[in-house]
Amino acid sequence: MADWGKCLDFGVSIARQARTVVLDAFEAQKVVSLKTSPADLVTETDQGVENLLISAIKEKYPTHKFIGEESVAAGASPVLTDSPTWIIDPIDGTTNFVHRFPFVAISIAFAVNKQTEFGIVYSCMEDKLYRAQRGKGAFCNDIPLRTSGLEDITKALVVTEIGTERDDLSLSTLTSNIYRLLKIPIHGIRAVGTAAVDMCLVASAGADAYYHVGMHCWDIAASALIVSEAGGVVHDISGGKFDLMSRRVIAASSRTVARGIAQVVEAFPCERDDGLPDADQAIGALTQRDGHWVSNDFLKLPCDKPCGIVIESV
Amino acid sequence: MLNDKNVVLEAVKQEKHVSTKSTPTDLVTEADRLVEELIISTLRESFPSHRFIGEESCAAGEPCVLTDSPTWIIDPIDGTCNFVHSFPMVAVSIGFAVKKELEFGVIYHCFEETLYTARKGHGAFCNGLRLQVSKEKDVSKALILTEIGAKRDPETLALFLGNMEKLLRAPAHGVRIIGSSTLALCQVAAGAADAYYQFGLHCWDMAAAAIIIREAGGVVMDTSGGPLDLMSRRIVAAASQEVAGFIVQQLKPIGYERDDCGERHAVR
Repeated sequence: MADWGKCLDFGVSIARQARTVVLDAFEAQKVVSLKTSPADLVTETDQGVENLLISAIKEKYPTHKFIGEESVAAGASPVLTDSPTWIIDPIDGTTNFVHRFPFVAISIAFAVNKQTEFGIVYSCMEDKLYRAQRGKGAFCNDIPLRTSGLEDITKALVVTEIGTERDDLSLSTLTSNIYRLLKIPIHGIRAVGTAAVDMCLVASAGADAYYHVGMHCWDIAASALIVSEAGGVVHDISGGKFDLMSRRVIAASSRTVARGIAQVVEAFPCERDDGLPDADQAIGALTQRDGHWVSNDFLKLPCDKPCGIVIESV
Repeated sequence: MLNDKNVVLEAVKQEKHVSTKSTPTDLVTEADRLVEELIISTLRESFPSHRFIGEESCAAGEPCVLTDSPTWIIDPIDGTCNFVHSFPMVAVSIGFAVKKELEFGVIYHCFEETLYTARKGHGAFCNGLRLQVSKEKDVSKALILTEIGAKRDPETLALFLGNMEKLLRAPAHGVRIIGSSTLALCQVAAGAADAYYQFGLHCWDMAAAAIIIREAGGVVMDTSGGPLDLMSRRIVAAASQEVAGFIVQQLKPIGYERDDCGERHAVR
């Protein structure tokens, strides 16, 4: 079996180089463009960092393949093959980066035969370099990581993301998921603006679980391995097997907590990163009523209208 | 402040004895009480005639009324739930008021070792660097922070989520929840976020941050759009009057009992 340790070391060194570019650009005025929605931002730094990483890797490993956020946005195919493949998010948390909100990460994962061999997440402003190699544990700045191991969901601190979708169904699903989780009850919800850092918080026991629908494979490929190497679990949002291209994930301190979250959260339909059809498009806990999508929990609320959370027809 | 931070950082590594206060998610630990005692006893030595409003003292039954006397308003650990979980957003917050006017404020981000300070008329600073709000006027380019609050009944949650959804539809750039209202307010002062709103925070959460934001060029107000009422359990803070005004118009209020339990003294 190949040891990808030298590749990992190379990945760490280019992540460090990329971080200096991000830090330099952090305080500067940014030129911002929009991608899929008015909240889905991209800057020249995103593109610059991705080019830096890919060209450095190409020089050292000319046969390797790439899935990079900005390359895919420019038309490259995000299909994962058996070839050694680098899966890159040059800036996870671009909205934070634009605002100088201090949670911004570079995420680099490496997969062979469709299995993630190592993952690196560099939280740039915090100067925390998270890394994991399959079978060799997870670390933050060389300190070993362990998830909290929490089994009791009523004591869980859960992280999620607001996301960049602003259509009715996505917003309704977002809010109804949070509602159902808080009603379990759990200790609290946090949202810091980057999936990679959110999942590393689970790996480092700063939070007990993360869930989201809508992020991409490059956001979580590295951090999913970091969580599992730290003793956590990574599942699909239905509670089933994690699928990197599905755009949905639960990462948690234990199977019990992951199951508890899977029982209450639902996914809105999301086109897979690899473009394949997704069999499971169930809306689940939402009901159509008079042409509106309404959360089943909200139907039980004392007020007539579900307090602004009902969305218009889909 | 350095002593308090060290006490907090040592305590965060250890097993915590956690109790609950008003709801099962309103947490308090021995460290909260220890840090507050440390702060109050130290200040009392230097300023024996001054008064104190501290989160844990009020929880233990001390009156939470602001008079004209020089008064220290203290949150020993802001972000206790984060503290319990070692989620790295925990702060010590100390505000100071005379004749019910906020005179200065200090907030220490324990994990990042950043000290936010402001004195009325003298600007706001973070580790000595001058703070300036973003001045963003357009809510569709705004990053907005909030907190859920301690109440978790269905009506409160529906109102909280309804408010958040309305702002996302502005469409704001995003909403963040970090678990510490004082540190979230500091992000607004630093220009890293454009607004903050919350129902359910206390006077000890607002006191220092309000003056830090004002001195950084931002605005703070009541969720009705009127002047900030330190005891009201609600706040809107923003980089501009325009963004604050938009948020005020969107919010449906969530009721929490006043900190001064019915006394109506407007405090600035």
